[in-house]
Amino acid sequence: MAGEPAPMNQGLWWMPRHVVSGRTLRLRLGPLIIKAHRSGSEWLLSAEEVDETEAVPGVMLEMSDERPDDKYVRYACRDPQDRIAFRPMLADRPMVVRPRQAVFVLPGEETIFYISTPVWVGVVAGENDQLLREIPASRPSDTWFGPSTRTGEICYAARTQARNVLAEVPMRAYRVVTALRVENRADSPLPVEKLSLPAPLLSTWGREDGSLWSDTVHLQRVTDSDMAAIRVEPGPPSYASDATLLAGPRMQAGKGGLVRAFSGFFT
Amino acid sequence: MENALVDSLMAFFTSERALAIVRAIVLLAAGLMVAAIVSRLPQRLMGKRFTPHQAMLTRRLVYYVILALFIASALRELGFSLGVLLGAAGVLSVAIGFASQTSASNLISGLFLIGERPFEIGDLIRVGTTTGEVLSIDLLSVKLRTFDNLYVRIPNEQLIKGEVTTLTRFPIRRFDLKIRVARKEDIGRVREVLMDVADRNPLCLDEPRPLFIFTGFGESSLDIQFSAWATRENYLDLLNSLQEDVKRAFDAAGIEIPFPHRALYAGEETRPFPVIVHSVIPPDSDSGKA
Repeated sequence: MAGEPAPMNQGLWWMPRHVVSGRTLRLRLGPLIIKAHRSGSEWLLSAEEVDETEAVPGVMLEMSDERPDDKYVRYACRDPQDRIAFRPMLADRPMVVRPRQAVFVLPGEETIFYISTPVWVGVVAGENDQLLREIPASRPSDTWFGPSTRTGEICYAARTQARNVLAEVPMRAYRVVTALRVENRADSPLPVEKLSLPAPLLSTWGREDGSLWSDTVHLQRVTDSDMAAIRVEPGPPSYASDATLLAGPRMQAGKGGLVRAFSGFFT
Repeated sequence: MENALVDSLMAFFTSERALAIVRAIVLLAAGLMVAAIVSRLPQRLMGKRFTPHQAMLTRRLVYYVILALFIASALRELGFSLGVLLGAAGVLSVAIGFASQTSASNLISGLFLIGERPFEIGDLIRVGTTTGEVLSIDLLSVKLRTFDNLYVRIPNEQLIKGEVTTLTRFPIRRFDLKIRVARKEDIGRVREVLMDVADRNPLCLDEPRPLFIFTGFGESSLDIQFSAWATRENYLDLLNSLQEDVKRAFDAAGIEIPFPHRALYAGEETRPFPVIVHSVIPPDSDSGKA
């Protein structure tokens, strides 16, 4: 993943950089602004999320002398190391995505949805890529996914257009696109009102054009329920085969049992 | 004279009875040591698989069983017959039971409490007006640490008889915001503003959806209940941030939160209430006269 440090304004934002003492590396990624300032053997890190309407579509990475404002966190190291990198990752909890319009997958059919979710930026420093902090590009709302208020799990909520044509998916630097194949082998139509995307099981891939991708997820519904067999197809998706691995999955998938993947309603 | 005393002492110490007492004391001391050591073993072996509650229960169970065995052996060394002792204990327990009803009731309640497990060590519970973290569940009482860092002992009997609320049983909690708006406000718009506030607050769960209930016409307001969900860790943060956000959103949207007010009507035939405005009297007017 990490090559030789790239000079400023060249290369991709996740490439490692060198920051000499007294200088600040500023990353503007969509609604997120991260400032990493090196002061002697310490890293001073500040993060700020602006309103999503003010988000820039691209990425801005610049070096300056400005110190982070008051709300910074200090990370002390023994040996001063000037290498720092921003590492794109997927969310640390499953993402529950809700299509803006109702979608049904007919019995015996299979479809693919492209879902984009906010990227998590891991700030790593030093030669051994010590993780300082993880910051979401835009903090999604929490949500609960389960059959009742007693059982279930805390996830992040996201809205999606659930597009099924790749060309229509808007490419934004601060979002990772996941291809989700949904196969309905049951006898009844599958209403896709909510989908749980297992983000912690997915790797993050990046292309030269700055777009971010994840492994493809395959959900197979076998019986008339909201349970599905989940399978992660490791590797970059076929249409982004030149992508390089940026971050591995946070968790390994368990043995292929059934998971609650669709809706998980409660009344 | 002295020789006789020494002789009798020597005779006593070399006698079978003295040896039995020594053996009993050694057994008792060994029992205390073994029980203390062995009772810590299960937790070490099982490591993190034990919750603090299970760890405490196992530790005590092992400790008291081992100690009881050693005490029984020590008593046998002293020549007590265990059968007779148990019989005596039965009679004694009835007497003690009558004499110390409260303690006995607490003890039995404690056993039920341990068996029923309505809460565990580390849970937050509310008993009456006391809310706190459970530090230990003992045979006679439960110890709580309140948020203002006080140590509260609650007798088990009270917990069995009364209502106990476990605040940390389920992972998510609902916060009910009771709110009033002026009668002139459009309820639909108020609902929109509140839902928008909930959507924008990342701590407020997207699902279960926030609940908007129009509870009725108050004396000087429209009464609304707005219920939003949060994870139990974020509950306090939501409680503050949501109310702040609601106030700000209402101010921005021009929605009025009314003070209680009352209109006085003096009847159709009467004239309006006369209102006389006096000019302000300067505070030092009296001193000027003097």
